[in-house]
Amino acid sequence: MNWNLIRKTVSDRRRGTLIYAGSIALYVVLICSVFPSVKNIKQEALQNYPKNLSRLFGVQSLDLKLFNNYIVVQFLALIWVAIVGAFVISYARNMISGELEEGTLELLLSQPIERWQVLTSEGMVLLAAIVGIVVSTVLAIFVFGTLFKVGLTYGGYAAFAVLGIALFIAIGGYSFFFSALFNEHRRAVMAAAGLTLAFYLLHFAATYSRVADKIDWFGIFHYYNPFPVINGGVFPVKDILVLLLFGVVGFALALWVFRAKDIT
Amino acid sequence: MTDGLTKHYGQVVGVEDVDLEVRAGEAFGFLGPNGAGKTTTMRLLMGLLFPTRGGATVLGLDCWHDSVAVKARVGYLPGEPALYKRLTGNELLSFIDGFDGGSRGYGVELAEKLELDLSRRVRESSRGMKQKLALILALMKKPPVLIMDEPTSGLDPLTQRVLYEILNEHRDDGATLLFSSHNLFEVERICDRVGIIRDGRLVATESIDELRAKRLRHIEVAFNDGVPPGLSAVPGVTDVEEVGKRVRFRYRGDIDSLVKAIAAYDVADLSIAHASLEDVFLEFYGAGAGGEVK
Repeated sequence: MNWNLIRKTVSDRRRGTLIYAGSIALYVVLICSVFPSVKNIKQEALQNYPKNLSRLFGVQSLDLKLFNNYIVVQFLALIWVAIVGAFVISYARNMISGELEEGTLELLLSQPIERWQVLTSEGMVLLAAIVGIVVSTVLAIFVFGTLFKVGLTYGGYAAFAVLGIALFIAIGGYSFFFSALFNEHRRAVMAAAGLTLAFYLLHFAATYSRVADKIDWFGIFHYYNPFPVINGGVFPVKDILVLLLFGVVGFALALWVFRAKDIT
Repeated sequence: MTDGLTKHYGQVVGVEDVDLEVRAGEAFGFLGPNGAGKTTTMRLLMGLLFPTRGGATVLGLDCWHDSVAVKARVGYLPGEPALYKRLTGNELLSFIDGFDGGSRGYGVELAEKLELDLSRRVRESSRGMKQKLALILALMKKPPVLIMDEPTSGLDPLTQRVLYEILNEHRDDGATLLFSSHNLFEVERICDRVGIIRDGRLVATESIDELRAKRLRHIEVAFNDGVPPGLSAVPGVTDVEEVGKRVRFRYRGDIDSLVKAIAAYDVADLSIAHASLEDVFLEFYGAGAGGEVK
């Protein structure tokens, strides 16, 4: 790692990270504020949802009168993943393919710094940003859930935070790889976002198709089940390890590609 | 020093078998048309590109295996410097200084010499200001080796003159300089030797004295008593074109001999223009020189 680069990257990314974290907190405020008034009609609304929704969330049944269930369905299962996933993909594309396209990578790599140091330094800042956003999400749920008296139970959120961090490390890993692989940042974004969407669609299809179900283990969303984690307080060690493995493999591939990449 | 340095981009040749030696303490000019391979060679030396075959060393250090050590000793100016737009000049100086430390003071001194406002953000700067800032970043560490891709590009004549002085100061301090340029006058002013690259191959390496002897000039003379006969017989004179009492021709050789030959007649006007780099390529290296010259 290189502390000089870490300082600059923190300075570059601080504003964007705060905007994402603040937007998520605002969304949590919205959910917490409307929950007391809508919780009675939620169960009826659930009738209109796909029958396999419970299976998608990895549970036997859904009771949306409970805030923990409500926030998973309305936010943490999809919208939150999309928002933070977009942040991670955007961050990764700015790193290599973005800097390559803007030409600043030539300036950076003409300084006495190893290429692996560039990746690990910026990767550490991304990790810190992921931790910050996930923790701030959980804190926002605690603070505003308490303020709006939504009947919050706190038990599983610590395990959920670790699971969330592992999920975004997985997305960050392959996003880094695509950023190192492609010279144009649009292609890097398309590849990372496309793969994330494909993983989600595979997980969704697995609720309907046996074939998809058999290969669902290949995608990251097979290992992201916030509902039982938040409600059960069970620490999903295996899921977290598999997600971290996705991240490590993606990051290792990014290092391998970047170490011999021509900077043109 | 490069040894059979070759870089292919798929089927396209970047550089081919380039054997180049820049001696310690000398200023070496790298000349060639656009796309000839100057920038590719410089990027290879900086470890930004990986060679298809061959090798290169800077101060005895391998450009790829010892790339960090090489870059700690080299100040590099890219052909089209791209700087972090969000940062001010001061912030950029601090960032680059953060890799080595201790060079910021000289960077500020250079900014004063080049009359650059370091408080301005890169995105608010003109092309010339960005070039000055990129030059400062390359020079601020007082590196023993400078690799510069067209350093005067985008600079006004006054700033170019200041830069020549700065580069000469670095040379006096023992720095080795490798730079590309499209300005023959500039190369002559700074360099000891030049290398000419064409289609990715180093086709000639010459001392400045040798280049001067070959230098082509466009001459135009007006005589009060008409163009004297036998002018075309003067050694080095070619392409003579007479219009009334005026004559235009090309001349290659010692200028003193020509002036003395002309001084024998009653001269009304005399104009001497240096040949463009394109002319030099076409004259010295034949029709194959081709390509647009910047």
